[in-house]
Amino acid sequence: MGKLFKTNFSTAVIVLIPACIGINYIGKLFAQVLKLPLWLDCIGTCIGAILGGPVIGGICGAANNLIYGFTTGDNITLVYALTSLFIGISVGVMSRLGFMESFPKAMITACVGGLAAVIVSTPLNIIYWGGQTGNVWGDAVFAATQAANLPVWLGSLLDELVVDVPDKLITGVIVYLIVSKLPGKLTSLYDANAVVESLD
Amino acid sequence: MKSISLYSDNGSWLVKLHPFSKMFYLVAAILIPLISGRLFMFAITVFISICMLGSARMLKKALPLIAFSFTIILTIFIIQGIFYKDNDSLLLSLGPVNFYREGLLYSAHIGFNILNMLLSFSVLVLSTSPSELVEELEKKGFSPKFGYIINSVFQIVPEMMGTMHTISDAQRSRGMETEGKLMTRIKAFLPLISPVVMSALTSTRERAIALEVRGFGSKVKKTYLYSHPYSTADQIMKWVSILCFPAVIILRVTGIL
Amino acid sequence: MSLIEIKNLKYRYPGTTELALDDISLSIEKGEFIGIAGENGAGKSTLSQALLGLIPQFYKGAYGGSVVVDGLTAKTAPVAELCSKAGLVFQNPFNQLSGAKDTVYDEVGFGLQNLGTEPSEIHARVEEVLKRFGIWEYRDRNPFDLSGGQLQRVAIASVLAMNPGILILDEPTSQLDPAGSEEVFHTVDELTETGITIIMIEQKIEKLAEYCDKIILMHHGRLIDFDTPEKIFSRDDLMEYGVMPPVYTEFARKNALRLPDGNYPVTKKGLLELIKSRGVDREKLLTALLKIISSDVCEPGMEGDKIKSPGKGFSAEASGSESSDRTFTVEDLHFSYIKGNEIFNGINLCLDRRPTAIIGQNGAGKTTLVRILKGLLKPDSGRLDFRGQDIASKTVAELAGKVGYVFQNPDDQIFKYNVLDEVMFGPLNIGMTREEAAERAHEALRTVGLQEVSGKNPYDLELSDRKMVAIASVLAMDTDVIILDEPTIAQDYKGRKKIREIIRDLSSKGKLVIAILHDMDFVAQSFERVIAMAHGEILADGTPDEIFRNHPVLEKAALNPPHLVSLMEELEMEA
Repeated sequence: MGKLFKTNFSTAVIVLIPACIGINYIGKLFAQVLKLPLWLDCIGTCIGAILGGPVIGGICGAANNLIYGFTTGDNITLVYALTSLFIGISVGVMSRLGFMESFPKAMITACVGGLAAVIVSTPLNIIYWGGQTGNVWGDAVFAATQAANLPVWLGSLLDELVVDVPDKLITGVIVYLIVSKLPGKLTSLYDANAVVESLD
Repeated sequence: MKSISLYSDNGSWLVKLHPFSKMFYLVAAILIPLISGRLFMFAITVFISICMLGSARMLKKALPLIAFSFTIILTIFIIQGIFYKDNDSLLLSLGPVNFYREGLLYSAHIGFNILNMLLSFSVLVLSTSPSELVEELEKKGFSPKFGYIINSVFQIVPEMMGTMHTISDAQRSRGMETEGKLMTRIKAFLPLISPVVMSALTSTRERAIALEVRGFGSKVKKTYLYSHPYSTADQIMKWVSILCFPAVIILRVTGIL
Repeated sequence: MSLIEIKNLKYRYPGTTELALDDISLSIEKGEFIGIAGENGAGKSTLSQALLGLIPQFYKGAYGGSVVVDGLTAKTAPVAELCSKAGLVFQNPFNQLSGAKDTVYDEVGFGLQNLGTEPSEIHARVEEVLKRFGIWEYRDRNPFDLSGGQLQRVAIASVLAMNPGILILDEPTSQLDPAGSEEVFHTVDELTETGITIIMIEQKIEKLAEYCDKIILMHHGRLIDFDTPEKIFSRDDLMEYGVMPPVYTEFARKNALRLPDGNYPVTKKGLLELIKSRGVDREKLLTALLKIISSDVCEPGMEGDKIKSPGKGFSAEASGSESSDRTFTVEDLHFSYIKGNEIFNGINLCLDRRPTAIIGQNGAGKTTLVRILKGLLKPDSGRLDFRGQDIASKTVAELAGKVGYVFQNPDDQIFKYNVLDEVMFGPLNIGMTREEAAERAHEALRTVGLQEVSGKNPYDLELSDRKMVAIASVLAMDTDVIILDEPTIAQDYKGRKKIREIIRDLSSKGKLVIAILHDMDFVAQSFERVIAMAHGEILADGTPDEIFRNHPVLEKAALNPPHLVSLMEELEMEA
């Protein structure tokens, strides 16, 4: 178990974290520019998790929301630091378990990430927003469940599910395509198990 | 360079305060109304935050932040006003839809809470330089490596936004469409994001080297170039914020609130 | 004991099979100025990073032998300790900022903070280095807002604030414009006076010759030679290692001007002194020089056949009308990024089919001009014609099949798994069939000399090869016009030669090549037409010979003439 969470805090890894946070931001921006009905705002978190392991993934996720929350005054983001934290951790764990090696496996990882997001976000939505997510389609589902007198938690869960799982699946595809072609000279910098071989 | 931070030094009293005293205020302003559980307490903290922002000439900059969350607050009012589980007493009817008092009151709590948080965050965020905040935190024992991560985000994101335009130009130059059907737009995402990611990752290697050769990995305790002494105003803000906690808890327990 | 002792150093990067450094032994004394020469991939940067312990501590991989720097063993001593012995400045000005400081002053103090230096001492040292390098006035600016040349000076100051005894410069000017390079070399000039040991990697071979006491010649990770510049650059087999001798050495060789020890001079000064002391007939030398300059070919190994003027050749077959040669017509063009702040106020320009170089400092408007031609930017007013068609209103995608544009940084466009797919992306976008696109892509890769790596991941290639991939990806679109933005950056001698061949090949096919360039020697050798720009204006437009001998224009554009032209002028003056 200890090995699963083994983390290298070298300078290369420290520098990786802000880069991943930047990638999150740019991903979100491109999705807006292209007017895509998706967020695509955790590509960097997933890349950080895959390269640096679950701890780095978690830090990327949490720091992402904390930094944007604190500086752009958008404290809505702040609350979801917990969600990003768990996306990072779950993707990191899945990746260390070998679930990034092939495309179908990467899709399983994406589903796990999506479910982690749903499970953590739902209670936050209920506490903070009374169950909504702020996404038009998701909130329509929520309104429908409330009209049908279903419990708030179920409505909120469905609301989140409709929004998060497709988003994380597409994110998973993109991350897989990118990570699978990273050169070895680069990935070895973040490897927690790298050692210097002797040529003497 | 366009910064992603909303901070700007306009020389006002709020900017001159120590970052920590503003953080004390932030925590107090958010938690005290929640502890009291009363709607009017939200109104008080919202009012105080507005006064502080106004006197520091920052209210105008806080408005877009509030406008941003306005739509979601509105939908909360609509959905909860109609469907809230404890809805009982009808307040008004607009055609076929009925709004209930309980739902609207519940929405008011959520709405006020959000507004209160946004404003008290604005007090800190609009008037505090992120790098100063980080430096003060580091002096109190916050890890310099984490401090670096925070500072670095502010420098990296605008730089990446610059390359974002170049990449978009480069791919359009090769005939890629970025407008049109949903499928066309989805297809355009990878050619755009992939170079950003790759260059961000490859530049981490060079940046890590740049840090290494400047002693970033050193085990020695870092020193700091600047100091920000606590003023009387800082002391007042800090202690008023802290003392409000026992006050509101006592009032709540004794049932006065 | 020497300052730096390297013994049997071997190194292999993780995930690779070849040695990047293969059994290197040498020692460097205090106060020497050492140059490292070699083609891309020779191991120059790797060697320099081994001195700082980055190899192997940072990169991992496989390591053998030993490096001792001022008593510290680079393999094991913490990099944080080694960095107070040796400082490193490298190519990309932006990536060597700490990325965490928002003023130049704090940036320069960053290293000292990490080492736990007393604040009062930091303030004193930062002030001292900022003033010494003439960047004191920028102390409150955000480093990301500075120009490349200013940034490199900040980088040098940041490193020197830590008081290292050794400074390593890894191609510090390769990404700068001529003025920026001058700024940096001026700083290097000043440093040589201080007695600091400097190790410099540089493709600008004339600069190496000018500064260095000794040169390390490397090839495929091996140390070929370590000797004086005169000895190294007079080697008959130098070109086999992908290194061009300085133009002065080459000229001396052609005219049999040997130094008493049998070597050739390597600097302009050395050459002129030799000519003077020997009393060689200057008229004869001038004739020889003029022949080299005007024949466009000044290197051995280049096929000497001068291609026929493509403009003429083409107009003969193309319906005979005079206007068919015209590719772009620009009339009274106005452009501004921000309203009221005009970059161009009324540019007039007519481009035919002659390969054309645009020169000038950063900020002269070169990139803006070509982006307007490409349709990426829309002019505020004025006429913009392409082959008689008004293109001011056309979209980028509509123009994609006609005008190709190779961006400066290949990493802004590469996104595919393998080189072939990357090169096929453009052709497929503009409506070619898969077969046609594949055929074009293969042809383009053959042209740039990368057909063997077509199945490789572009990111496993060196930067210089990725630039070639980017060029191929535009060539494959078979456009009538090809715009190249700084194609020679990061290219060694072989790469530059390849690009020169590509330009000739394209223009012999009747295509217009426009290139933005900072390398004047390359411009003089490869282009028929040169446009000099400054402050959004076209200063002069003519043949390389006309432009490079026009001193007022060069001065206004803040450019230096190519090395051979300046040699010729000095000879003329003395004759």
